[in-house]
Amino acid sequence: MIKNNKMKAAALACTVFAGLAVSAVANAHPRWILPSHFTVSKEGGDWLTFDVTASHGTFVFDKPAGSESAQVLMPDGRFERPNFVIRGKRRSIFDFHFSEEGTHKVAVNNEPSYWTEYKAGRRDTVKWAKASKAEREMLLPEKARDVVTKISFTRAESYITVGKPTQKALEIEGKLLELKPITHPADIVEGEEVTFQMFFNGEPQKGVTADITREGSLYRNHQEQIEVESDKDGYIRFVPEHAGRYLMRAHYSGDLKNHPLADKAGVNVHLTFEAVLQ
Amino acid sequence: MNLALKTVLKSSALVAALSAPLMAQAAPIPTNAQMDVEFEIPYIKASPYARPYVAIWIEDANRKPVRTIELWVGKDEWLKDLRSWWRKVGRYDRELVDAVTSATRTVGEYRFTWDGLDDSGQRVEQGEYTFYAESVREHGGRSVIRQKLNLADKAFKIDIKPAVEIGNVVLTYKIK
Repeated sequence: MIKNNKMKAAALACTVFAGLAVSAVANAHPRWILPSHFTVSKEGGDWLTFDVTASHGTFVFDKPAGSESAQVLMPDGRFERPNFVIRGKRRSIFDFHFSEEGTHKVAVNNEPSYWTEYKAGRRDTVKWAKASKAEREMLLPEKARDVVTKISFTRAESYITVGKPTQKALEIEGKLLELKPITHPADIVEGEEVTFQMFFNGEPQKGVTADITREGSLYRNHQEQIEVESDKDGYIRFVPEHAGRYLMRAHYSGDLKNHPLADKAGVNVHLTFEAVLQ
Repeated sequence: MNLALKTVLKSSALVAALSAPLMAQAAPIPTNAQMDVEFEIPYIKASPYARPYVAIWIEDANRKPVRTIELWVGKDEWLKDLRSWWRKVGRYDRELVDAVTSATRTVGEYRFTWDGLDDSGQRVEQGEYTFYAESVREHGGRSVIRQKLNLADKAFKIDIKPAVEIGNVVLTYKIK
């Protein structure tokens, strides 16, 4: 009996270990950004604060994702850096003074990373190396097989509106996966349909999958997660049933043609938004 | 008759046919029409009790706001907490906000009158409208009440069902 349990434990440990090894690459904790407010009405502007972390729970602080790369796209299209960036053990925070009328996009985006998967050895063990197509020749063993390099990139974004909503900050830059709000983020209302459009390298992208979860999942029995997929024109449509803060995790995997650094893309947009009361 | 001319004649007949009923509807409400509003801020046992922020406005049949009648707020920082009113009216027009804002009021019954004019001072056209009142209390709740109105040349009186943060509201549309 004891022996049996030991065996089970060992088997379980192996599974967990293997799971961890893979999750570090393929299933890392999603990074997200949580604004203290999405709307400013104070004349002369107001300070807002932002939490940045990476976790599997919606707005549960877990891993210390940095916010040193945070930037604010202003209503006129220029970028500003936030003030007061602090990094803690389980989250980082930054504050920014919003005073210009219009819609701002706040983003914490790291640089794209490259991962090469390959098989090596007699037993066809799958291995990973942190290398792009340009770097991989130097790193891989001579007999590496089934070599595939993936570019990985996540946008963690949110929109803040001071007074009247504007459109400029909603524009996309044409790089990797992007979300363009068709329903303005300041106009997301409980019970009303929301439309977003997904783009990959500047083109509308079909087949982007997204899950959308409202805050407070720790305190309800069901996730109440909305799952959607973009149509042929890249559109995603859903109805947030309740007012609240939502995290949308959009993901796209696809092959890249003639890309100098990668064969495939695994890219994400993690958008935090609020659905307001009717 | 050539085809082009026929089409022109047809479409002008159509325009005339369509515009006739529209013209009839487009008449403004009578010059001596007004709406009296009795509005109650209910007593709520709460600690701490803060006076509510209140917005009262009218929307037309296309849900477009036409007039903010009353706006009782503290700091403009809190304007956004009147969620509906801010989204539909406040955020678009800072001058209007400054022009209509007045101080918050305590528990009690209030009376005021809507003169039937829109935000730009024009008499509104006859038709369907909706009366809105939104009340939000710091450390407290939020209530919104909506009441459909048919503003024409007929007088009416409507009692609106109270909500938690809004007491008795009576609308009296009068043609004096």
